[in-house]
Amino acid sequence: MPVSLNYVVKRTVWALLVIIGVIVFSYIFLYLAPGDPAYIWAGRPRGVNATIAIMNARRELGLDKPLPVQILLFIKNVFTGNMGVSIEYKQPVSVIIWRGLTATLELLIIAYLIGVSLGVLLGIYSALKRNTRLDHGLQVLAITLANAPSFWLAIGLIVALAYLTGFTGYGRVDTRLAIATGFRPITGFYLLDSLIEGNIPVFIDVLLRILPPAIIVATYPLGLGIRMARALIAETLGEEYVKAAIAWGVKRRTVIWRYAFKGTIPSLTQVLGLAFAYSLVDAMIVEIVFGREGLGSLAYHIIGKSDFPLVIGLMITVTAFYIIVNTLADILQAMIDPRVRL
Amino acid sequence: MTIEKSRMQKRIRGIKELFSRAWKRRPVFRAGVVIALTLLFMAILGPFIAPYPSEGWGIPPATSRGAQPPSPEHPFGTDAAGRDILSRILIGAGMALFQIAVVVSVSLAIGLLVGSVAAYYGGVMEKILNYFTETFMAFPAIIVALALNSLFGRGLMVVLLSLIITWWSWYARIAYVNARSTREMEYVLLAELSGLPRYRILFRHILPNISTPVIVQAITDTGSVLLEAASINFLGLGLPTDYPDWGVLVQNGFNYIYSYPWISLIPGAFILVAALGLSMLGDSLREEMDPRLRRRWRLWF
Repeated sequence: MPVSLNYVVKRTVWALLVIIGVIVFSYIFLYLAPGDPAYIWAGRPRGVNATIAIMNARRELGLDKPLPVQILLFIKNVFTGNMGVSIEYKQPVSVIIWRGLTATLELLIIAYLIGVSLGVLLGIYSALKRNTRLDHGLQVLAITLANAPSFWLAIGLIVALAYLTGFTGYGRVDTRLAIATGFRPITGFYLLDSLIEGNIPVFIDVLLRILPPAIIVATYPLGLGIRMARALIAETLGEEYVKAAIAWGVKRRTVIWRYAFKGTIPSLTQVLGLAFAYSLVDAMIVEIVFGREGLGSLAYHIIGKSDFPLVIGLMITVTAFYIIVNTLADILQAMIDPRVRL
Repeated sequence: MTIEKSRMQKRIRGIKELFSRAWKRRPVFRAGVVIALTLLFMAILGPFIAPYPSEGWGIPPATSRGAQPPSPEHPFGTDAAGRDILSRILIGAGMALFQIAVVVSVSLAIGLLVGSVAAYYGGVMEKILNYFTETFMAFPAIIVALALNSLFGRGLMVVLLSLIITWWSWYARIAYVNARSTREMEYVLLAELSGLPRYRILFRHILPNISTPVIVQAITDTGSVLLEAASINFLGLGLPTDYPDWGVLVQNGFNYIYSYPWISLIPGAFILVAALGLSMLGDSLREEMDPRLRRRWRLWF
């Protein structure tokens, strides 16, 4: 393993620092907003209990203490999973967000399984057929997919599916079927849960429901995969060691997979890892269009409702997800790339 | 004075040359230019050539026709309030370009300044500015828009601010990387030895020399900015419901996708083509600029 523990520790500490920066920024955001922070945190209450709600918020945020202490208190609260209570849902923010995050992550992971594998395969194919009409066609397809607004693609797919198959049932699982078969979520990843319970009808139902949105989320990694894999493979195919392998009479398949493709894995990991982190927001938008539960729907339902604790919770979660995935991709890339010594 | 002038000319020629080279050699670039010019044309002439200008601006017609499918009278059909969609799209092009222009230029200015100051001054300043850059790179624009929306409600400012807050950091990163290598150049050392104040060196010697890669990146980004702005407006975080913005237009049809799918699908197609054209433009410019990439492309094609 060419990567030292020192690098891993350094990278982790840096990521933690950035996450703390995000939390501090979120707090300052609340603080700089016009109006009393406690009033905003309590969800701009009106009526008889408003004073009590504001006083509770004041205590929760520690507004009677100096600003640095408030910020430290806020950081401590976030790290202990105490991000306040959602005004709209009347539940702790961390609970709601965890429930939404598993749903969104499930969608994102399925989408990336589809998008990355197909994209890399097509990219390699495109690199092998370079300069043909097929190659140009694939590249045009790739750049189009990477630039298509996902909410629009999602609407298009919903309309097409409704006209062709009449399928309009979206959401994560058919509630009636789930109740009839006694399905109970354990981890929150429904595909995994139904497999653990050996509940095949629910598994098929969940899979059928996750596929259309997953295909839409997959368009970005698909387009990126085609372009990146093509570029990297075409580059490595010109390398001396690949030429040498060809000259030695190594089998074509072995040259492609063991020589050319293997050399591109580290770069692909890094780029697609970054894309994975970035796609969380994309998955959220697609969820909204498809009406699936998840982080996106959470966010969509509180638009214009001044549920500030949940907004801040979402902001910290999504940003922290981005930082963590990015850091993991960097460390992974350093670990598997024999040329990188850190 | 003359030296200054010739350097300016050289820099401009640099970008001009890049454009003409890309134009000669890359069909993708030509396609991008055509799309970008069409967009510009629509943005300038849109309000004048729109067949139903008042409906385009969001006022429903006096006698509501309801949603009509595309017909010779209304090439793209009408929305649920009976407004002509073609007119709305034509007038919306200006808003699309305005959002792109403001977001990219303001973030570019901030990013260039932060990145080059971090690289040139070094020390604690470098550490702090890089930390800020890294932190802001992690924020997704749509989530920031959600937060701004919950504080201030809907408005153009939400779109612009959220995108600027999240976008400048990417330019800061590119500017920083390029300025780091420029700082080591001998002419910078000479300028320092001749006693020029540091901010003059920054503005005269560092900034002009790092601007080309950053500007090319900015051109590439215009497509992504359009997509993000459209997403924010589609979610109902930005511009109000009646405004002729392309993202808002898609939102307007969102409740009727089963009965009147054209209300959403046609404006969305415009977003796709515009974003595609702009990023084709930027991508091919970047490939033309980067000699390493250029060599690679020659190898493949």
